[in-house]
Amino acid sequence: MTAMTAVQGEASGTGPFWRRPWRRPISQLTPVGQDERRPAGPRRSLRPWQRFRRAGWPYLFIAPFLVVFVAFSVYPMLFTLRLSFTRWHGTGLAQWVGLNNYAYLLTNPAFWASLKNSAALWLLVLPAQIVLALAIAVLLNNTALKLRGFYRVAAIVPFVTPLVAVAQIWVVLFDRDYGVINHILNLFGLPDVGWLVTSTWSKPTLALLFIWKTTGFIMIILLSGLQAIEPAFYEAATIDGAGRARQISAITLPLLRRTLMFAVVMQTLAVFQMFTEPYVVTEGGPYSSTTTAGLYLYNHINRADLGTGSANSFLLVIIMVGLSLVFVRLLRPKD
Amino acid sequence: MAVISTTAARRRLASQVGSHLFLAAVTAAFLAPVIWALLSAFKQPVAIIQRPLDLFGSGFTLVNYVRMFQDVPIGQGFFNTAIVLVIKGAITMLGAPLAAYGFAKYTFPGKPILFGAVMVTLMLPVIVLIIPLLLEMKELGWVGTYQALILPGSVDAFAIFWMRQVIAAVPDELLDAGRIDGCSEPGVFWRIVLPAIRPGLAGLGVLTIMNIYNDFVWPVVVASSSKMATLQVVLSTLAQNIAGHRISADYASVTGELLAASSIALIPLLVLFILLQKHFINGILAGSVKG
Repeated sequence: MTAMTAVQGEASGTGPFWRRPWRRPISQLTPVGQDERRPAGPRRSLRPWQRFRRAGWPYLFIAPFLVVFVAFSVYPMLFTLRLSFTRWHGTGLAQWVGLNNYAYLLTNPAFWASLKNSAALWLLVLPAQIVLALAIAVLLNNTALKLRGFYRVAAIVPFVTPLVAVAQIWVVLFDRDYGVINHILNLFGLPDVGWLVTSTWSKPTLALLFIWKTTGFIMIILLSGLQAIEPAFYEAATIDGAGRARQISAITLPLLRRTLMFAVVMQTLAVFQMFTEPYVVTEGGPYSSTTTAGLYLYNHINRADLGTGSANSFLLVIIMVGLSLVFVRLLRPKD
Repeated sequence: MAVISTTAARRRLASQVGSHLFLAAVTAAFLAPVIWALLSAFKQPVAIIQRPLDLFGSGFTLVNYVRMFQDVPIGQGFFNTAIVLVIKGAITMLGAPLAAYGFAKYTFPGKPILFGAVMVTLMLPVIVLIIPLLLEMKELGWVGTYQALILPGSVDAFAIFWMRQVIAAVPDELLDAGRIDGCSEPGVFWRIVLPAIRPGLAGLGVLTIMNIYNDFVWPVVVASSSKMATLQVVLSTLAQNIAGHRISADYASVTGELLAASSIALIPLLVLFILLQKHFINGILAGSVKG
């Protein structure tokens, strides 16, 4: 850190040294990205290996990612695309069926029901979670608050715990006959609720698990956004007589727009690919009420119906990319 | 003046008390399920069901742990998870910052397309790739092997995305200074960029450990045989056992085993988090708070 500031101080003290003509050799060492600064020079005369030394490094740095990306994302993706036009059950010859799989899915109520289940979970999760995370973050952003370190750590604990383990604890907690939650309700004279066995309560119970698990993470992201806001804005607003609520609506929320966008997009994608929670807690039931988009897709694999499953994958990708683009557009700062 | 300051002080006190009440309630909700599971795992199975809120009064027993170790290959699960954790973690910790450095500090032909690829991978649900990836593994003969658990997703897109933001905050002047002193491009990365982003790297490290340890969707598909099953996969088979036992009178003892298994899976990460909480939180914050 000290080295960094020292260099910065030196650079500002001597001015933009790379622009000075006598410093030309340095600019040749700077990466291609900063070539705009370099006046048109004898570029043609570079030998291929020299050109690689100047321009090849970034490709080399990105190569490991690229290898993994091509082998385990691009190739499977193209393979899925081809598979989605066939009927295939894992063995024997794949039979070309054109758009049949897509037509089958788009006219299948179970497919739409899985999307509807995910959308319902999104509605149950997102608004509640963002408000809760924002409330905690705003309170923890107050440096005068005692115990804020403890609160912050406690909020992250659920995020750190393994989802499978927590999902199992959820099964035990929300059991209709032996669960703790109903035990507590009974203490207050309230009747048992079939949290996991009625289609009314199965989605809220899963949504609660999701909110419990990830709110701390969202809170930390929002808190970082809050801490990036200059305290001077608030001081000026206080001098102008703006109250706490007005400060939040006029300063905090507009300046937090980018961070909020990031959080909303991330959570939307997470909800639409929710798989482990329904897989472990409810196995998609009761009456398919918790068969999310992700779990419905998995069920094709379970039945070895790979062609339909691939078509389903593609539809899901289109939906997710579409959703994130909508949110990015909606929450883009106006400037 | 004095009146005003006392009202202000009183209002400040009231808001402090309100903040604490709200935060204490939220904190209790966050911690209660975990604490309840950890403590209940040491109770007699029948007591877990009959007196779920009586955490200390019903005697201490290890019977749930003993039964769980007999019934479930949890040691094998831990071993497999450890192998995947070390190798996959190392690949992520080297590959992601390297790629992120390429994206953050260079302009080169094809960069928008390649970075677009990162973003697409970020948006792509794991589950979408599972069918073809599984077929690819079958083709390679890798089903139920460590490389199938390790290689897909080893240079993680989110890690690149995050590290790119962290590295972008390192001033260009610092890199130029290194070049003036004769550093090669990899040297700049190794000697200047990596040390400068150490807090971010620590955060990435903890997050990577957590993600690999908790990973479930891919392992359950590619390594469900008990010999290769990771800890989380072993755990989930236990959950399906409990679904089978739900009606039977044995519900209590299965619940006990389940809580013991969940606890033992929770503990390593909880300990790690409590020891390294500063790195974890600071790591996430590193992207926005500039030194």
